[in-house]
Amino acid sequence: MFDWPLLLKNLPLLLDSLLVTLEISVAALAFGFVIGVIVGSLRLSPLPFLRRLGGAYIFVFRGIPLLVQLLFIYYFLPRIGLPNVSPMVAAVIGLSLAAGAYIAEIMRGGFLAIPGGQLEAAGLLGLSRGQMLVRIRVPQAVRLTLPALVNEMILLIKASSLVSVVGLADLTRTAQNIAASDYMFVQDYLMLAGFYCLINIPLAFLGGQLERHLKERTA
Amino acid sequence: MIFDPSIITDHLGDIGEGFMVTLGTWSAGVALGLLLGLLIAVAQLFGNRLVRAPLRVFIEMIRSTPFLVQLFLVYYGGPSFGLSLDPIPAGILGLGIYGSVYFAEIFRTGFESVARGQLEAADCLGISRLQCIMRIQIPQMLVIILPALVNLVTILCKETAVLSIITIPELTMVLTGIGSETFAFVETLLVLCIGYLLLVEACSRLGMLLEVRVGRFMQKQPR
Amino acid sequence: MQLDSLFSKKLNGLCIALTLAGACMAAQADQLADVKKSGELVVGTELQFAPFDFTEGGKQQGLNAELFEQLGKELGVKVRFMDLPWPSVLPGLEAKKFDIVGGPLIVTKARKERYHFLLPVAEATVALLVSAKDSSITKPEDISGKAVGAGKGSAQLEELKTFASTLPKKVDVREYIDNNQAYAELGTKRIVAVANSLPNISYVAAQHPDKYKVVMPPFGKKSYFAYLGRKDDDANSLIAALDQAMLKMHDDGRLAALQKKWLGTEMDVPKADFEPTW
Repeated sequence: MFDWPLLLKNLPLLLDSLLVTLEISVAALAFGFVIGVIVGSLRLSPLPFLRRLGGAYIFVFRGIPLLVQLLFIYYFLPRIGLPNVSPMVAAVIGLSLAAGAYIAEIMRGGFLAIPGGQLEAAGLLGLSRGQMLVRIRVPQAVRLTLPALVNEMILLIKASSLVSVVGLADLTRTAQNIAASDYMFVQDYLMLAGFYCLINIPLAFLGGQLERHLKERTA
Repeated sequence: MIFDPSIITDHLGDIGEGFMVTLGTWSAGVALGLLLGLLIAVAQLFGNRLVRAPLRVFIEMIRSTPFLVQLFLVYYGGPSFGLSLDPIPAGILGLGIYGSVYFAEIFRTGFESVARGQLEAADCLGISRLQCIMRIQIPQMLVIILPALVNLVTILCKETAVLSIITIPELTMVLTGIGSETFAFVETLLVLCIGYLLLVEACSRLGMLLEVRVGRFMQKQPR
Repeated sequence: MQLDSLFSKKLNGLCIALTLAGACMAAQADQLADVKKSGELVVGTELQFAPFDFTEGGKQQGLNAELFEQLGKELGVKVRFMDLPWPSVLPGLEAKKFDIVGGPLIVTKARKERYHFLLPVAEATVALLVSAKDSSITKPEDISGKAVGAGKGSAQLEELKTFASTLPKKVDVREYIDNNQAYAELGTKRIVAVANSLPNISYVAAQHPDKYKVVMPPFGKKSYFAYLGRKDDDANSLIAALDQAMLKMHDDGRLAALQKKWLGTEMDVPKADFEPTW
């Protein structure tokens, strides 16, 4: 059933495109994290308007399928005069906006889990709200939510399989193009699935270890 | 660029059908996922090593690969393994399998959260393991896991958008199809966004109602 | 009478072009000048449309790559291709993600109203591809009551639907994101035939004679494949320049040579604007 020589021939191509998949996923995690911290803080703001703003962001970006969001960025934004970005940038924007909504919820949980005494102490020491966010709340929340963030990375790598609709040749698109020329659909897609496992299973393992570590320390 | 509502009103019938297909595949996929998920969770908790090891591999593989790739394998790869399904059954099966491992994870946490002492007490009273699962564990854990379940169900709703790649005429397929027929790409895309937002919102509202309802039931329980 | 309808159509086209140009802020822009300035012509296409565009060992192959290389030489610019799933290609052109759509596409009346076609490159009449082992379909009408696939968002799909509606029993038409998945489905017997243009399916059948064969005659009306650009005024200069290059390739035999190499035979295609049959 397997054509090994063909499989080996395609290997370098898939490895190259795996890099594309990893690049956009890591970039989206970084930008999504910034968005997530901002939106997560908005959700905990004392001002109802800001809370609602954060809620609206999450409602929209979690409510619309990523495929549709990507199509929207690709078809629609250039028509209303926004700059026409490259496929790579469009893919990262699309993934980051969606990741931001999920990370906002993770960070909100993290912020809430920080003991109140710490913030009071920081306030007494004269730290401003901004300083408190950057120096105390974010590092603490990250430590508490690290397993969830690793999980988000896995979700992002999987979600990036849809970016071909904005013209980027990621791992999935490359495998599809290969399958379209050699007609070995089963073999090519199994190989594709294998590549995703190769990255994500170790990540999942890492997430599990972190979670156990965290439980032991907090227990 | 002006929004032309006639594009939508002219195709209302097709859009309605697509909506029904989305709704149908979604609910069938969720039902299958819940069932498989419960089985996996029970097998993980109570099965021996021989059962648990292959399950672990299955779960890791499903969780590590994109739904799109799984769907491709079920639909286009299935026939090589003697599983030749029509698009809609294949889509439901794919969605069910994809959802099952996440449902299982939720169920597992739910089972583990039911206090150990209760199980020991049940054991003392001579209640069988199956009865214990059905009567004691499941009702209690439902309350705990309801928010996570609702969240997963809304995620699966959005995943149905991917079903278009195996030729299922669901909402995304129908609307992008109308888009390429009439060249009204923007109108169809906006309707698509609104459609999914409504579906997801309706689902989470329903979930909240359920939570309130179940919460009331819990409060009535004698301590 | 005929002149009248022709005139009104032209007027119609003019109106559309004017509104589009009006909507576009940079009405004075000139796409040819832009392309020359950047030194790059960007072509949006789908690399899953053999023999026009496909990959081999990760490299783009086919008629499009070689033909656009020649067109680029004539214009004095480099050519860059952008690969997209087919349903994303036309929206991408409108969003100005690239200058020209590869493909190519069948010239239809509806598309002609919306886009500006270049001169045709090949004949595109639609026919059926079936499994080599299938003896139940010997003429197009035999698909009556069966399941048939075609590419989503393609003119070939529209033509299939039109033909299917004339048959006694309902045809179950399935829409595939790319044609190759539809070809693969013939092996699984979920569908009995795939409707696509003759050059495409002839190529597939020639590459894999053990798996596929073409059902003659074609069921579609005579039609042509062409590349296309935007219908905005600023795009006219670019398309005129590409048309001129295409005519030059007609005259010196380069087009015929490419057709022979990739499509198996030279094809007689219109050298001037023409009225599509549907």
